[in-house]
Amino acid sequence: MHILLIEDDAEAAEFLVKGLRESGYEVHHAHDGHDGLQHATEGSFDLVVTDRMLPHVDGLSIIHQMRQQGIATPVLVLSALGTVDDRIRGLKAGGDDYLTKPFAFAELLARIEALLRRSSSGAEATKLKVADLELDLLARRVVRGGREIELTARELKLLEFLMRRVGQVVTRTMLLEGVWDLHFDPQSNLIDVHISRLRQAVDKGSVNPLIHTIRGSGYVLRDSDP
Amino acid sequence: MSAHPEVSAPLAPANLARSTRPAGARGKPDPFNTTAFRLSVGYTLLVTLAVAVTLGSAYLLTQSLITEDVDLIIDTEMKGLNDKFNRSGLSGLTDEINLRIDSWGRVGAVYLLVDKKYDQIAGNVEQWPFKGMPAERRPEFTIETIEPGRRSSHPVRAEVRTLPDGNRLLVGTDISQGQRFSEKFRVATLWGIGLSTLAAALAGFWFSRKLARRVEDVTETCRRIMEGELGRRLPVAGANDEFDALAIQVNRVLDRLEDQTRTVRATFDSAAHDLRAPLHRLRARMDSLLRRSPSLEPAVHESVESALREVDRLQRTLAILLQIALAESGAPLAAPMAIDVGELADELVELFEPVARAQGLTLSSRHSGNTMVHGNRQLLAQLMTNLIENALKYIPSGGWIELSASRLDQGVRLVVSDNGPGIAPEDRERAVQPFARLGNDADTHTSGLGLSLVAAIARLHHARLALESNEPGLRVIVDLPLEQPN
Repeated sequence: MHILLIEDDAEAAEFLVKGLRESGYEVHHAHDGHDGLQHATEGSFDLVVTDRMLPHVDGLSIIHQMRQQGIATPVLVLSALGTVDDRIRGLKAGGDDYLTKPFAFAELLARIEALLRRSSSGAEATKLKVADLELDLLARRVVRGGREIELTARELKLLEFLMRRVGQVVTRTMLLEGVWDLHFDPQSNLIDVHISRLRQAVDKGSVNPLIHTIRGSGYVLRDSDP
Repeated sequence: MSAHPEVSAPLAPANLARSTRPAGARGKPDPFNTTAFRLSVGYTLLVTLAVAVTLGSAYLLTQSLITEDVDLIIDTEMKGLNDKFNRSGLSGLTDEINLRIDSWGRVGAVYLLVDKKYDQIAGNVEQWPFKGMPAERRPEFTIETIEPGRRSSHPVRAEVRTLPDGNRLLVGTDISQGQRFSEKFRVATLWGIGLSTLAAALAGFWFSRKLARRVEDVTETCRRIMEGELGRRLPVAGANDEFDALAIQVNRVLDRLEDQTRTVRATFDSAAHDLRAPLHRLRARMDSLLRRSPSLEPAVHESVESALREVDRLQRTLAILLQIALAESGAPLAAPMAIDVGELADELVELFEPVARAQGLTLSSRHSGNTMVHGNRQLLAQLMTNLIENALKYIPSGGWIELSASRLDQGVRLVVSDNGPGIAPEDRERAVQPFARLGNDADTHTSGLGLSLVAAIARLHHARLALESNEPGLRVIVDLPLEQPN
């Protein structure tokens, strides 16, 4: 997987490049808007990670020109502004995700993974199945090993979010955004409480727990006993 | 006597109430209650009056001139015939009358000489037109004449005199032509008044519409600028009139304002950038340290993690401060859309309920009626989140927190109430100021920004915020308007 990183802050970029390479990605670093735009429109990348405020050409203009030229490569916007309208502007310009600096590297990694998987994922399924856990989205029914599980509407949404990203790490912020549509961080450990309730319902008494905590990152739903 | 000293009048700090928009302030003015309308009505009346006076006096003057003319002719003839009678007696007069009728008499002349019984002696009229002698000096009557092919009646103005022999002489003039002329003049005068009134009204209307439209343009532009469209300018028509002069001056003021606002915005953006960039580097460095050195001593590992948590806390505080600064800068509300306040309250209560329960608190919500408003979902959610988190922080176990949304005439009321310790009346205004610490707040991790962010979000939504006593506890009331400007 080939990632284009457009970032003018040399030190921050160095950490990102190093981290991404260690995580197995091939990274090209462009350190200003001109260079970034040229690579984004001429090179072939699987993902573009761009800073919002860049010298010469702004991050949003880069996305805008990419989209105008019909380049659909997913773009993750990094911004130091982080206001509500800045986020909206970023997504409106054609960005696929938006992350406010400073962020945890694990957060960036999880989002990059999500964007890369999304661009290769198929059509919307109405039935999701992981190991012996089945979720019927039309009937809104959850069955684990033949036993029906009662879930609230929100728990169902949370489970669906995890099952659609099976094997993928999802962070607390991704869950807040994806399941609750909240784009800010409440101070409390809200998500942990909700996950633990879902875990109680889904994994309780099972020899093969599906929901796992990834320390320092978030959660993953996966069949660890194939 | 109340058991709770803080139970006083509800508090709505002056600095919070200032964003309340007077109802209907933005409505279009009544078209009949405008300076332009009054001006055009006044202008029309003035023109009508002037034209009426001018044409009316011309009409009256003309009429009196015509009558004087007729009277002069009658006088002269009467004098001549009287002289003839004095010189040549009745027969001479009769001859003279016949002569005048037959040959060289003037057009429209009427003569009648009658005896004491009013029987005709001579003249071109057969019947004495009056009963006896008329009282007026110059009586008017009509005669019927048979002209070739048709019968017509003619108005006549005459003078009557009793001759020394007792016979009576009538000398008159057919005044139908004068009357026709006068009638035409009258109609023309009325048309003149009517048409000039219409013209004045149309011109006044056109002029006042033009005037009103330019004033409306100014009003509308100012309104839009107030709502954040700082790039707008007053239209300059190019007429080089006083409106253009005004527009040019106002536009200069707006240019400077926009410059300043842009500077504030740029300063804001670069401040955000300059504050976050080093935080970002710091965090990246620590992140990398943790990831790349798995063999760190547990104590070092723990202290790096703890430092990371502090960075995150700093970042959250910074985000809130920036949000407050943005609200204070007068920037317009970002991306307002239809939001159901009651539903949003339900969602947040559902999100926080497990945490509240773990703390031994009851968190609930209720709403009634249509609670849709125009607002920013993220900011409203953050407002509710801060109020809930604030309550969770201060209420001892066993307490309760309730979010309720209800419909008002002009908006939606969100109330977050609890039965916690509340805020003393004297502290309430300060509670919404950034970094306020109230009472014996021992929690050093709270930045004291929660309520000031609530106030900032309320202000961005043109909402009214009030803190009241819930007897006991705190009741935070947010009155949101249904519509946001734009």
